[in-house]
Amino acid sequence: MKVAMVSLSSCLGCQMVFLDLEDYLYSFISENQVCYAPFLVDVRSFPEVELTLVEGTVRNGDHFRRAREIREKSEHVVAMGTCAVYGGVQGQANRFPRAELMRRRFGKEAGFEDEPQAVRRILPLDSYIAVDAYLPGCPPPVGLLRSFLELALSGNLPTREASTVCSQCRVSSPPLPQPGPRRVTEQAPLAGKCLLEQGYLCMGPLTRDGCGAECPSRFGVPCTGCRGPSQAMLVSPSSDPKGETVRRLSRSTAKRPGEVESKIADPPHSFFMHCLAEPTLRRRRPEGTSPFIFREGER
Amino acid sequence: MAAVTIDPVTRISGNAGIKVLFNEAGELEKASLQAYGYRGFEYIAKGAHIDNLMPVVSRICGGDALFHQLAAAEAVERALGVAPPQGAELLRELALWGQLFERHAVSLTVHSLPDLLFPSSDPGLRNIISIHKVDEEVIKRVMALKSLGTFIYREVGGRAVHAVNFLPGGAVRDIREEERKGLLERLDEARPLLIETGHLMKLLLRRNAEAVSNLGNLPTSYLALKGEQGMVLRGGGLEVLGPQGESMGAFSPGEAASRITESNSSHSHIRYADFEGADISRVGPLARLNVNRRYGTPLADGELEEVKEQWGMPLHQNMVSHVARILEMIHAWEMMRELLLQPAGEDMRRELAVATGTGTSMMEAPEGLLFYVLSLDEDGTVKELKIIAPLQFNLRALERTLEESAKNVLSGAGLEERSINLLEMAVRAYAPCIQCGVH
Repeated sequence: MKVAMVSLSSCLGCQMVFLDLEDYLYSFISENQVCYAPFLVDVRSFPEVELTLVEGTVRNGDHFRRAREIREKSEHVVAMGTCAVYGGVQGQANRFPRAELMRRRFGKEAGFEDEPQAVRRILPLDSYIAVDAYLPGCPPPVGLLRSFLELALSGNLPTREASTVCSQCRVSSPPLPQPGPRRVTEQAPLAGKCLLEQGYLCMGPLTRDGCGAECPSRFGVPCTGCRGPSQAMLVSPSSDPKGETVRRLSRSTAKRPGEVESKIADPPHSFFMHCLAEPTLRRRRPEGTSPFIFREGER
Repeated sequence: MAAVTIDPVTRISGNAGIKVLFNEAGELEKASLQAYGYRGFEYIAKGAHIDNLMPVVSRICGGDALFHQLAAAEAVERALGVAPPQGAELLRELALWGQLFERHAVSLTVHSLPDLLFPSSDPGLRNIISIHKVDEEVIKRVMALKSLGTFIYREVGGRAVHAVNFLPGGAVRDIREEERKGLLERLDEARPLLIETGHLMKLLLRRNAEAVSNLGNLPTSYLALKGEQGMVLRGGGLEVLGPQGESMGAFSPGEAASRITESNSSHSHIRYADFEGADISRVGPLARLNVNRRYGTPLADGELEEVKEQWGMPLHQNMVSHVARILEMIHAWEMMRELLLQPAGEDMRRELAVATGTGTSMMEAPEGLLFYVLSLDEDGTVKELKIIAPLQFNLRALERTLEESAKNVLSGAGLEERSINLLEMAVRAYAPCIQCGVH
């Protein structure tokens, strides 16, 4: 199969995972033709291919032009990594007007040669071009990438459905109520017990599974939601990560939801670290992401 | 005025282009590195609670993720006046060397080795995929080094790319005894391969003497952290070295940060960073070697002798950065072994109470100096953050190198694929990290 790998605005972490495939990497590159991947091979123009893995988000006109070209010339386009699927951490830039970000960084008078026009707001890749399959994860775990590629090469692009991180988490419940809401930097949690029930902010119940829940169950680190919102979260019109987490923490700590919410500093990173740019969550009322996104002359 | 554009530059980390301008007489006017797509991370991190800060800054760069995480963590710890326990410090150090090892391995094998192995072949064939087709073994062997770095980083950091085992105040979990043993075994296994690759890199550089003399030789100043025993990734002061190898002073993180000025480039979202009192400067493997003059571990220092004989000291040759890189990998290998043999500490973290404060950290990322200057609000959120990435320090020198190389290898109007690749080789020797640069 003819394959291409492209990064738009990204951290290149997904391509680092591609290099982690070890033995599968060798069978992949000998059985397929990697026609375009600036990270790996010296090809400067995008050829006609069967499968393109796109990492990162559209940041400016140049990325947009590239995304369009990729769509035209690829039979199948895969959004690889949470940036391409949901906007990722980079989507947090949506909290500020683009012009202000530029002005604060480069000053009022800054001018650049051949500078591509910046997009007003970060959006997932499928807001710009049609996407055939999604592989979220920041980065996608290497085992998932491998099984994804195996499926894709056999002609079956995987669908988006999945369960949540909690379904894979190997912890037990502590007695309730617990103190909180609290942060792992303030107090070390008990090992092997559910973090959310201990009063810590954990996005496990609202996040897609597939990672093996290593962070909460092996390390005792709360889930930040790096695989993005679960399917259930996206299709249910009345739920969003903030409301759901506050509700669960309220149960763990036996405090009123309003009290829990008022004690959580930094809601945009705490609840929407990887998905602030996801448009579905912006339309959720009364919670959702809209209070945190800067709106430029629009309703 | 005629212009030559190379877009994208291939086999580097991130998206960038090169533009070379000639005047009417056909003389070279200016060479520049173009990279657009400012990502706004200094503002993205604004308002982040210290608990959320590390996962946020980690996403600046997949290859240097831990360097960003720990630079942020150290800045927070300084702002709050807390020092993490010794056990956590050792673990952090181990993971940092692991990531440096991985990062250098990618730069050497995936990005630069094909040029050095087959300098006369078609650039279209110079990549690990084509080489794998003709010689499977060589690629598997060199990639084994990358896998070793990834393995160590993953075991210590909790997962590949964006680690989760560290937080402001320390680390979450120590590695277990059996994991330590496993890591030591993997390291010991890799020793012959690593030494062999070191010899290979030296041999290849000698064989590519023409590239070494054409692709950047101008003396510059150098900025790097100086350790008591040799090269360090953290701690120690910043030493500034003049082009003749003379010391121009040593600075603490706070002093150093106050002497850096950033300014806009006319053709890129990467801002130049200049150090007060120093002329055009370089950071990274070559700078670290020139400043420290030794690594401080026996294997790496033994291998260094031959390098000093062959290329002198201080080293100004841009292409010799590749050799400095493999020497750092050997040094990293020795450091990781040493760290794994030290007993683990029970105490891994300090619990933090939030408060206002300001902290500065400086660190040697694989590509060079990384600065974080941060202030905290009373609720534990980030009030202001300034990040200065390695490529910002290197950008002037890199463009100077491009000009020098273009004069040497571009023959007037006709531009063939071969000369294009030579310019890219000059860029690859810097192993520039574009996504860190446009943070």
